[in-house]
Amino acid sequence: MEIDRADGRNPNQLRPLSCSRGVLNRAHGSASWAQGNTQVLAAVYGPKAGTKKNENPEKASVEVIWKPKTGQIGKQEKEYEMVLKRTLQSICILTIHPNTTTSVIVQVVHDDGALLPCAINASCAALVDAGIPLKHLAVAICCCLADSGLVMLDPTKLEEEKMKAFVYLVLPNSILSVLPEESSSVKGEQMEQGLITSVTHGVMSVDDYLHCLERGRAATSKMSDFLRRNLQPQLSSDSSKAG
Amino acid sequence: MEQRLANTWRMTVNEKKFIESALVSGLRVDGRNLYDYRKLSINFGKEDGSAEVHLGQTRVMGIATSQLVQPYRDRPNEGTLSIFTEFSPMADPSFEPGRPGEFAVELGRVIDRGLRESRAVDTESLCVLAGKLVWAIRIDLHILDNGGNLVDAANVAALAALSTFRRPECSLGGENGQEVIVHPPEAREPLPLIIHHLPIAVTFAFFSDESTLVVDPTHQEEAVMAGRMTATLNTNGDICAIQKAGGEGVPQSVIMHCLRIAATKAADITVKIRDTVEAYNTERALQKIKRHSAPVALDVSGTVPNVRKNQVKSEDQREVSGSVGTQVEKLKPMNERKNSDQSNDIEGKVVTKSLEQGGTNSKDGNPRSFIGGPSSWDPYSRGVDWDFLKLSLASRETSKFSKKQKESQSKKSTQQASPKGSAEEMKAISPATESAKIASQTHGEKTLKDAVKPKHKRKKKAPSAVDGS
Repeated sequence: MEIDRADGRNPNQLRPLSCSRGVLNRAHGSASWAQGNTQVLAAVYGPKAGTKKNENPEKASVEVIWKPKTGQIGKQEKEYEMVLKRTLQSICILTIHPNTTTSVIVQVVHDDGALLPCAINASCAALVDAGIPLKHLAVAICCCLADSGLVMLDPTKLEEEKMKAFVYLVLPNSILSVLPEESSSVKGEQMEQGLITSVTHGVMSVDDYLHCLERGRAATSKMSDFLRRNLQPQLSSDSSKAG
Repeated sequence: MEQRLANTWRMTVNEKKFIESALVSGLRVDGRNLYDYRKLSINFGKEDGSAEVHLGQTRVMGIATSQLVQPYRDRPNEGTLSIFTEFSPMADPSFEPGRPGEFAVELGRVIDRGLRESRAVDTESLCVLAGKLVWAIRIDLHILDNGGNLVDAANVAALAALSTFRRPECSLGGENGQEVIVHPPEAREPLPLIIHHLPIAVTFAFFSDESTLVVDPTHQEEAVMAGRMTATLNTNGDICAIQKAGGEGVPQSVIMHCLRIAATKAADITVKIRDTVEAYNTERALQKIKRHSAPVALDVSGTVPNVRKNQVKSEDQREVSGSVGTQVEKLKPMNERKNSDQSNDIEGKVVTKSLEQGGTNSKDGNPRSFIGGPSSWDPYSRGVDWDFLKLSLASRETSKFSKKQKESQSKKSTQQASPKGSAEEMKAISPATESAKIASQTHGEKTLKDAVKPKHKRKKKAPSAVDGS
């Protein structure tokens, strides 16, 4: 059953992605990520000395500050900060610089649906730009479930409001390996099936959720290709940032 | 505590000495002259009222939003304007999240004084119901990158955001006219704010060597400077605000010199802001036209002949009504006002038909929905002319016939007029009946199918009217 989306996409089509790194001058790492009309700017300040009181000083910690476009910081922003922090903590290698804090600051430039996935993607790119050691990249996507049971990817704000339920999924990026496929298949399968974060809104059945998960996984392979392409060329020509 | 100290950026003694000694010789670290501004660029976001300003390395984002609130008690007829500055920690490692530091507060106050107290924005036009509901405009300034001279950049961002902001139109309704209905942007075009003048802030940095002063300091120069002054002026020659909070003492002659420099800089920046805002507005108008002509384009592909006929007819009607208007103006029968009203209605109704099927028929709404006015019709009418040609070349009997009919009518009427001598009456009646029929047609037309029928009616009626008279 075909549902016509307002911008003419089919259910499996993502909005046009664009990513630019190194947009800010003072920050150690910065990235701007746009999915259609949703645009988020993320900045990273590299490991600073000391951790907060309730953090484990034997590991590095990640601090996230979420800045909404307008208005005061409320519970929604605090929730986003918490989700983002836990997600980024799972992709950073925390044992390299113990007793340090890495600050990630996220600024919402425009919100047109799938805001949290966009922010996660932007933060990941900013971490790469800052040179923070990571285990692997994270790719985030939003899947929404219509009343008819149709799963659509990357909804706009209007679509999100109309849907029965939607879920934000964060998956590790797909592995690009030089080893022959057999030896990495076992490990590769385990890695690729790992789900880092999942945040749901609304009610959905278990089958629908698994269906969303499959769709999300298929889409993230495309997104991780894009991310890899985007990150690579700049790395070779990037001069070191001094202060 | 120690962590915070460890994380602050401190300038080395060498860097300080270098900057100071270079300034004595009139050289700046980035190669500018002492009184030069860095490159200023203003970009607008996708929504109305969001602007991002790049002043060299400094980056500030300004967003304007509006809300209906109760007015202050001592000013029941005026709307409010409030400015919130966010020193985002991404701009500078020393900016802490949470409570704004003293510099953030000072910046907010300087911009507030420059904009609000100089009455740059007309607040009386923001009143909806005196004493009960007014529009409160809120400007959020996010400092994204601190490259120095945040005041000037933030000021420009606030002005750019205000200049492109559109507030929803609202009207009074309900029983006593006490209910306020806010119209969504799809129904009624949102309105821009009334801005009387643009107050531009120009910042000067003074150094310990008395005669050295610099315009638009970078953040390294700010770390070295001994005092700073911000002068907010507009192009009318008014000083909106001056802020010099402590720092090095400066002689009076230097202050006067600074104000003179500030006047020229303010003029440049005002021109720049005005140009970019105008470019944005024209692009916005073009986009609106593209969006409005999109449904017509879809119709064209679907039902080609009918829509083209309508377009042709609308062109004909406009031409006819135009000619009617000129004829009628000379004569002034009682139908004159009706004709001119109808000609307006014709335009308005053709517009509504193509845009909103069964939308509001208010005369006020429709002409205003085309922002550009006559210029917005240009691409449209060019397309229509081409269609006109194509149809007249192709054997489109009805339209040709109707064209011929009109031509013959006008010919007949002129022929009849001259021999009979009751020229004025004839001219008055036939164009009046024509335009009345046109008006009745547009009244009756709601679907494209109806477009075909009235033509046949007109063909039958027209000769009878001419003959009958």
